Amino acid sequence: MKHNDKKAILRIALYAGEILLRNGAETYRVEDTIEKICQSKDLNYVNSFVTPTGIFVADDQMDGINSLKRVKSRTINLRKIAKVNRFAREFSHSDMSLENALLELQTIDKEEKYRKSVVTICTGMASAFFTLLFGGGFYDFILAFLISMIAILAYQKMEQISETAFLANTTSGALIALLALIAKKIGLVQTIDMIIVGSVMPLVPGVALTNGLRDSISGDLIAGVTKIAEAVLIAISIAVGVGSILELWHHLYGGVF
Amino acid sequence: MFFLKQFIFSFISTVGFSILFNVPKKSIIYAGLTGGISWILYIYIDKLTSSIIFSLFIASTVVGILGEIFAIIDKKPVTIFIIPGIVPLVPGYGIYLSMVNLINRDFYGFAKTGTEAIFSSGAITIGIIFVSSLAKLLKKRRTL
Repeated sequence: MKHNDKKAILRIALYAGEILLRNGAETYRVEDTIEKICQSKDLNYVNSFVTPTGIFVADDQMDGINSLKRVKSRTINLRKIAKVNRFAREFSHSDMSLENALLELQTIDKEEKYRKSVVTICTGMASAFFTLLFGGGFYDFILAFLISMIAILAYQKMEQISETAFLANTTSGALIALLALIAKKIGLVQTIDMIIVGSVMPLVPGVALTNGLRDSISGDLIAGVTKIAEAVLIAISIAVGVGSILELWHHLYGGVF
Repeated sequence: MFFLKQFIFSFISTVGFSILFNVPKKSIIYAGLTGGISWILYIYIDKLTSSIIFSLFIASTVVGILGEIFAIIDKKPVTIFIIPGIVPLVPGYGIYLSMVNLINRDFYGFAKTGTEAIFSSGAITIGIIFVSSLAKLLKKRRTL
């Protein structure tokens, strides 16, 4: 095989892996996909090492080529995972040309999400029904719906401005607490607990923690520990946001929450 | 009646999260079913045994099984159904609460809620890994 072809295949594999990782695939899935793509084109000595912040792909023969991709931000976008999964299967079972493969990956990468308004309303609904699951009342339901929509919009805006998730989480946590406290002050609800339970649900890293543990148990120790640390950090940042507002309110207006 | 209500609430919640997670349109209903069914199973077993960890384990095993089934029906990777499906079960609020306790220097509360959150997600993880390893084993058998 020519050196250039080898390079192109490795590039395709790396790109597929990058899309998977950026959209929240499990570590083993990223590694498997990279190795499967390479092995289907007779690159049998390719190793991949995936952490949440970067992918390393290398040929472990001495003449091998290797490459590395830094991944800075990760979200959960399951549609892209499904698409890349299908692409990997098609690519390894057909003789799709390398240029076409790269183009297809690019279209997957640029794939549109659901419209922002739809996402916002659905997030609100998810939060609102969560309050009902935990035993909230009618006003809790309505308020959680509104507040979580505001919080998720603020989150998205802050995420665009600052690249780290910490500030975005803190801001939306603070917003949730503030709005919930105002609702209590007006007298719509007796306690703010239920509103906060529902509204923080789209932010809290429950899935992230579970995925981290899952990676750890499957043997991807570095990825697992990193993900758990990230989950804890996100939880801290939300708690800082909510906690500081509660504290401030307590000092200004007194009373308990 | 209680369970029907709970099913509807968790179904809608899961559907909402599926859209936040960009689940493909056709798979949303399956993801919602996974979430709804596992949630009512969770509260039912929790009522019977009053052990959160055990009921979470069973519920997440069901998430895994439903995920595998829907993956075959819908021809999509299992993750598409598992990630939204575990959303009602995961201790997101628990992690948050433990951090609030930590910030308020309530170390007893932090230890209590924190360990509970870790154990809960551990139970969910084990349930899911249990099913996926079993599924892998079965698939290997078939191809051998």
